[in-house]
Amino acid sequence: MMKRTMTISVVIMAMLFASTAFATLKVGVLSDLTGPTSSVGVPYAQGIKDCAAYVNANGGINGENIELLQVDYAYNVQQALAAYKRFKSQGIVAMQGWGTGDTEALVRFVSRDRIPVFSASYSAHFMNPKKAPYNFTIAPDYSTQGRAGLKYIKDNWKEKRAPKIAFVYPDKPYGLVPLPAMKEYAKEIGFEITGDEVLGLKAMDATPQLLGLKKQNPDFVWVGGTTPSTAVLMKDAKKLGFNGKFLVNIWGNDENLAKMAGPACEGNYGMQAAAVYGQNVPGMKIVEAQTKGQPQMTHYLRGFVSTMVMVEGMKKAAAEGKVTGESIKEALETLRDFDPMGLAPAISYFPEDHRPSMAVNVCTVKDGELQFVETVALPRDAKWLGK
Amino acid sequence: MQKCGLFFTTYNSEDQLFPSKFQKTCLGLFMAAMLIAPYVLDFYYISVMNLIMIAVIAAVSLNLLTGVCGQMSLGHGAFVGVGAYGCGVLAAKGLPFVICLLGGGCMAAVAGMFFGIPSLRLKGIYLAISTLAAQLILEYVFLHWTTFTGGANGMPVDPPSVFGFQFDSDEKMYYLIFAITTLCVLGVTNIIRSRSGRAFVAIRDFYQSAENVGVNLFQFKLQAFATSSFMAGIAGGLWAYYTMYITPEQFSIGLSISYLAMIIIGGMGSVLGSIFGAIFITLLPEVLNTATSMLSAISPDISSLAAPLKEGIFGLTLVLFLIFEPEGLVRKWKMIKAYWKLYPFAY
Repeated sequence: MMKRTMTISVVIMAMLFASTAFATLKVGVLSDLTGPTSSVGVPYAQGIKDCAAYVNANGGINGENIELLQVDYAYNVQQALAAYKRFKSQGIVAMQGWGTGDTEALVRFVSRDRIPVFSASYSAHFMNPKKAPYNFTIAPDYSTQGRAGLKYIKDNWKEKRAPKIAFVYPDKPYGLVPLPAMKEYAKEIGFEITGDEVLGLKAMDATPQLLGLKKQNPDFVWVGGTTPSTAVLMKDAKKLGFNGKFLVNIWGNDENLAKMAGPACEGNYGMQAAAVYGQNVPGMKIVEAQTKGQPQMTHYLRGFVSTMVMVEGMKKAAAEGKVTGESIKEALETLRDFDPMGLAPAISYFPEDHRPSMAVNVCTVKDGELQFVETVALPRDAKWLGK
Repeated sequence: MQKCGLFFTTYNSEDQLFPSKFQKTCLGLFMAAMLIAPYVLDFYYISVMNLIMIAVIAAVSLNLLTGVCGQMSLGHGAFVGVGAYGCGVLAAKGLPFVICLLGGGCMAAVAGMFFGIPSLRLKGIYLAISTLAAQLILEYVFLHWTTFTGGANGMPVDPPSVFGFQFDSDEKMYYLIFAITTLCVLGVTNIIRSRSGRAFVAIRDFYQSAENVGVNLFQFKLQAFATSSFMAGIAGGLWAYYTMYITPEQFSIGLSISYLAMIIIGGMGSVLGSIFGAIFITLLPEVLNTATSMLSAISPDISSLAAPLKEGIFGLTLVLFLIFEPEGLVRKWKMIKAYWKLYPFAY
């Protein structure tokens, strides 16, 4: 008995030691595994972990492994702050962040501490290095995504009259931020804007909004919600015989939409930043090997790409010398058209412009499956930076 | 020869905050320990202590309103937000730190008084709903009054500087927050001992009796709202200065509820209780996070299973507390003290 206890404790000690004995590059992972955004936060975090495991299994960064330190902050800003401080005291060189609230709360801290952060919040103000020098994303901002969606519609518009568009969004920063930019662009390229409707993220019924929409009679409706509220909107639209098509932003259309909305979501469009699982791109083989062929949500792929781009920055920094937050940032800013093996459009960062790309994947739901339609690219216009 | 117990010969001496030498020594040692903490502890602990102290100010102020005066408030998080935004706007105009902080506090006090007006007519759950309305209205204002608050994009705030000294690190902010927290806690303790404090307690215990003995209900209820919101505003100002970036989402209903949880868990109507509650609610997720990350060092599979349990454990702890210690942590503390006072001859 005594012997067995000793053996077990020795094994545990050895395992604890093993994790600290080798030189590793520490990366903080701030995830929402249990909070309000956990349904998309869990696959995203898994993507990060799998990519890091893949990198470590293939030589790491100049021989050094990546050690992920994960904290579940349950979408609570205060916990995010404490988690970040813990990461910093553990000596991270970079961080994978998550939502808008925590990324905003940490903007000034990370630029003071010089720790590059990749977040999954694509608010336009994180793209401007003057305001957020250490913030990076792998998807263009919500405004750019919206503009690309509008461009896609306009390019495929066959009728002579101007297409009519309405906007449905929650009264939250996430829904409000891209509105002015999209409305401006919609007018510029010849849309007729019919009006707005506010639909909460936890809505169970969208009848009042749809009655409003039916009166406005738009051809297209931009939806700035998340998947659950978008599903409610689409189901009610079908029930009430609303004919317009929906154009859904990045967090409102994913593999769950078809499960929640059923046939009501068929033929509507959504903007995405990463590939869809099983799409015919070079990197999909690696992803399929990492996931043993288990289909994953597109958010997983975004987490995967986010880590891949960070690793590229770390490798470049390692080639130049020491890997520190500052050197990773400088290395990232020299990235030009880095191709994440087709899993997302090619990525470039500039010292004065952190928009990763101007290309957006338009997706649709066909036979209950999320499918890639085409990539829409916009010019990198300086006047759009941060707006 | 040592006296056994405390004997007072004047009312003044009985009324002291810290009547015994032992208490004074303990407090002195505690203060000294707090002052040297940044030299000893890692800055992660210091940053957690900063968060705790900001929560202490907010919880103590809510306890003054809810625990002492009996006025339920679900809008405390929004009043903290008014302070934060007020402070941020004044700071953006280049005004000195003290003026910004007090200005933010005053704005919160005005907001608190305005939304406290219904308290004359409403009590209990009805007042709770009307303060909930305050929370929602103020959140709406934070999000849509773009010229003042920056709207959805939020507002950056520069770290404070006093006479050219920049408080730009966790350790420096620690001393600043510690000093202000001490002032606020002492302030509330003394308010409770004053005429106003006794009027608050009278209103809480039975408003008609209070009115019969000459307490002006309207005046004192508003005073409670104003004082409490002022301090909430101070907490908000410190939060703005500490995080350097404020957005509407930081001051949501969740924040108001967590402050309520702090005073319920700590002990309603007790200053010490609010401090315990603030420490407990802020530390619990940290402790749970540390536990899960330690588990993940041993086996990554356990941590992914344990993560969803965390929320459950948090909720369960709160429920168990309410069942087994409805008077809060402060009662536990008193029992521990009583035990050691009689040790080893407990009867």
